[in-house]
Amino acid sequence: MATSFKQIEEKLKTEAAKLLESGSVSLVLAYGKGYDEKHPMPYVAKCASDVANIVFNEFCTYNMARYLVRYPRGTKIAVAVKAADSRAVIQLIQEEKVKREDLVILGIPVSGMKNPKTGETIDSKTTCGLYNPVLYDVLLGEEVHGQPVVSPYDVLAGYEAMDKDARWAFWQKEFDRCIRCYACRKACPMCYCDPCFIDQTKPKWGDKSPEPAGNLMYHLTRFHHLAGRCIDCGECSRACPVDIPLYLFHKKVAKECEEMFGQAAGMSIEDKPALVNFRVDDSDKILE
Amino acid sequence: MSRIGVFVCHCGLNIAKTVRVSELAEFAATLPDVVVAKDYKFMCSTPGQEMIANDIKEHRLDRVIVTACSPLMHEQTFRKVLAASGLNQYLLSIVNIREQVSWVTHDIEEGTAKSKALLNGAVNRARLLAPLTSRVIDVNPDVMVVGAGIAGIQAALELANTGKKVYLVEKNSTIGGHMAQFDKTFPTLDCSACILTPKMDNVLQHKNITLMTSCEVTEVKGFVGNFDITVKQKARYVDHDKCNACLACTEKCPGKGVSEWDEGLVKRKAIYIPFPQAVPQKPVIDRDACTYFIKGKCRLCEKVCEQKAIDFEQQDTSTTVKVGAVIVATGYDLMDTKPLLQYGYGRYPGVYNALEVERLFNSAGPTGGKVTLRDGREPQAIAIFHCIGSRDKNNYEHCSRVCCMYSLKFAHLFKEKTSADVYQFYIDMRAAGKGYEEFYNRIIEEDVKFIRGKGARVAESADEPGRLIVEAEDTITGKFIKLPVDMVVLSPAMKPRADSKDIARLFNLSTDKYGFFMERHPKLAPLSTMSEGIFIAGVCQSPKDIPDTVAQAYGAAAEALTIVVKDKLELEATTAMVNPASCCACLNCVRVCPYGAPFFNEQKGVSEINEALCKGCGLCASVCPSSAIIARHFTNDQVLAEMEGLMEF
Repeated sequence: MATSFKQIEEKLKTEAAKLLESGSVSLVLAYGKGYDEKHPMPYVAKCASDVANIVFNEFCTYNMARYLVRYPRGTKIAVAVKAADSRAVIQLIQEEKVKREDLVILGIPVSGMKNPKTGETIDSKTTCGLYNPVLYDVLLGEEVHGQPVVSPYDVLAGYEAMDKDARWAFWQKEFDRCIRCYACRKACPMCYCDPCFIDQTKPKWGDKSPEPAGNLMYHLTRFHHLAGRCIDCGECSRACPVDIPLYLFHKKVAKECEEMFGQAAGMSIEDKPALVNFRVDDSDKILE
Repeated sequence: MSRIGVFVCHCGLNIAKTVRVSELAEFAATLPDVVVAKDYKFMCSTPGQEMIANDIKEHRLDRVIVTACSPLMHEQTFRKVLAASGLNQYLLSIVNIREQVSWVTHDIEEGTAKSKALLNGAVNRARLLAPLTSRVIDVNPDVMVVGAGIAGIQAALELANTGKKVYLVEKNSTIGGHMAQFDKTFPTLDCSACILTPKMDNVLQHKNITLMTSCEVTEVKGFVGNFDITVKQKARYVDHDKCNACLACTEKCPGKGVSEWDEGLVKRKAIYIPFPQAVPQKPVIDRDACTYFIKGKCRLCEKVCEQKAIDFEQQDTSTTVKVGAVIVATGYDLMDTKPLLQYGYGRYPGVYNALEVERLFNSAGPTGGKVTLRDGREPQAIAIFHCIGSRDKNNYEHCSRVCCMYSLKFAHLFKEKTSADVYQFYIDMRAAGKGYEEFYNRIIEEDVKFIRGKGARVAESADEPGRLIVEAEDTITGKFIKLPVDMVVLSPAMKPRADSKDIARLFNLSTDKYGFFMERHPKLAPLSTMSEGIFIAGVCQSPKDIPDTVAQAYGAAAEALTIVVKDKLELEATTAMVNPASCCACLNCVRVCPYGAPFFNEQKGVSEINEALCKGCGLCASVCPSSAIIARHFTNDQVLAEMEGLMEF
């Protein structure tokens, strides 16, 4: 029997209070109240008295690993992570943005999270489909048994059936809607570049106003920058106000990387980031 | 406003046959900022260079584009022209319309069109080129030679004799390589040991040579003039400083290993020196054969050693050596002929490979120099098979170059030492070398039978047990031959060392499809590699005989000397730099750099680049997600401008 959301919330509060009181961390990245129950918000507890504001329910989809890189190196942080979120933490450790020893990872085993916008249950269609965190110090509940029967890449079947021209047309159409709010970039735990290439002026990689060419440049380059790094939490797609299915492209690239390099992003802190690490046995498929 | 000069080279007909060069020059003249555009037969010749120099003065050029061959070939030539004319040498741009255009098409329309596109891009980029200043670095005067066969030994001695300090690294416990295994050398038939062992001793005695046996290179850092090379000293389990080479240990040792030096024909002890003239003449323990390491008991050697030199606790150790240049001379392996089932090597005791036969002839070999079969009989008939695995599309396409000659040598020695009939099965006789054809003629006179036809098969004789039947087609008479013999000698292909690709990776060398190291230029830079400061000599580059190997060793020594003889070295100014304001500290640059130039500055929270280590390859700039890295001479603006120029076509 899976642990209920309320039980997780209680455990999260207890652990956060314990960590903050003992001083072993200076902040806890978790979830707090929004304007209603369906819209919780990212929340940072900085002292024991903040803990009361922590909530956890089925709408707490945000990937709190996103906020790890905001604090100076060496800050002791506790972070509440669900399955995919923990992969983001691992990926950030691999990329040496954070150190394992500076983190207390509060793992949340959970299934049945819901998209706050649509109310739909989130599954492996838009995320990596895992229920249990890959890495944690404290597990806030019992492991969820019975992993999803479908692979996170099954959703690609329709996309992969399209030929080159159809895919091009598909993305052109999707990106035409983009209003360049950059919510995808803001939600993404791996998008930590400051400045982002698209904000630069020398060289100017793409137009900054929402027009087709600049939209393509922004999104295609972002996909490229996330190759082998995207941990498939699906937050970009949920953050998108115009519902561009960004997860499709990310999944496609992730699948190819996994096939080529035999490693999925953020699954082990011993791994090295696939695309900037040379191994003698690396696949040469890309050259063929 | 730039003032650009475009100079289109015909390269004789190399370019002019597939690119309309005068049309290209006319096209260049129409491009904005181009003030002069000319074509000429050989731009690299003195008149060609003078033309550029004159035009720089006459037209007050501030950018020069040479449309010719690869920049690897003549970038330096034309940079000197700019420098001599008072222009910064980095204001030159080379457009390669030879290797990238004329040599890869037969279609003059396509060739001309592509040349125009490339030139259009280059003009766009040239406007943005900036003057750069070269860096000057100190040069480490020492040299490392990797591999101590005849090539490595010769190169090390030459360098040491000029007064340079040399580190000679050898993975085996003795130096000497394959040449130490031979008995006689063709075509003069002088004794291999007599000409080699004095050199080996010279190496040991030479005050400028640091001999590192049982050692392997594990890491190479740095760059021309300043290499940091990590060398692993493999545990010998004998302290060579204490050992006085009394060899009492090797007498008492009960262990049995396989003698590599005798090509596995006999056993040796577990604590051993490979052969009596080995250098250094001190034993090592073969862990895989040692009774103590296998069973945990014995240590007889330790008991008899008065010097207390045996040390079972010895571990592999690593040292770092700093040198200015490296010569790689790692030699070859013979192809394993076991998989060629038709020849029965490994199945029939009468089938030998060439190195085993070398050992049979050698007076220090397993038979004391007598030619006897594995069962002790003297052979009555011997077949020598040429080209086993060489000149063979299924194995190695190359000719191994030495087999014809050593097969003749074998024939001579067989005739001298036995009363056997000797048959040569050959495809062609290749005797190109000083005195080689004469040697061939001499052997013909010696009643050796030459059959022009590749040995096809070896089988056991049904009638006479212990004898072999060789089959071949005599292509002169067109008849199939079946011949009973007692001994078959295979001349296997020479192939790169099994670990040649690892060596190549360590030193950043390119290899051909088999793993032989690639030279920088097959004719004009046969000993240099694409890694500056790393040279190659001997069979690791391609099969060759001892005279050619030695000649290469001398050459490589001279090449290495051209670097270490200088105090200072001018380095390319085309390095990368980090704009700290844009750095997002993803550390991609640190991870991808093959030279270890970028590092993370923890205090500032950004990456920085050690320009002394940077080779300007641009990998870091290409993986930088926030364009914080600027590759000088190939900045984003320059590359984008060039691409825009290309895409206008």
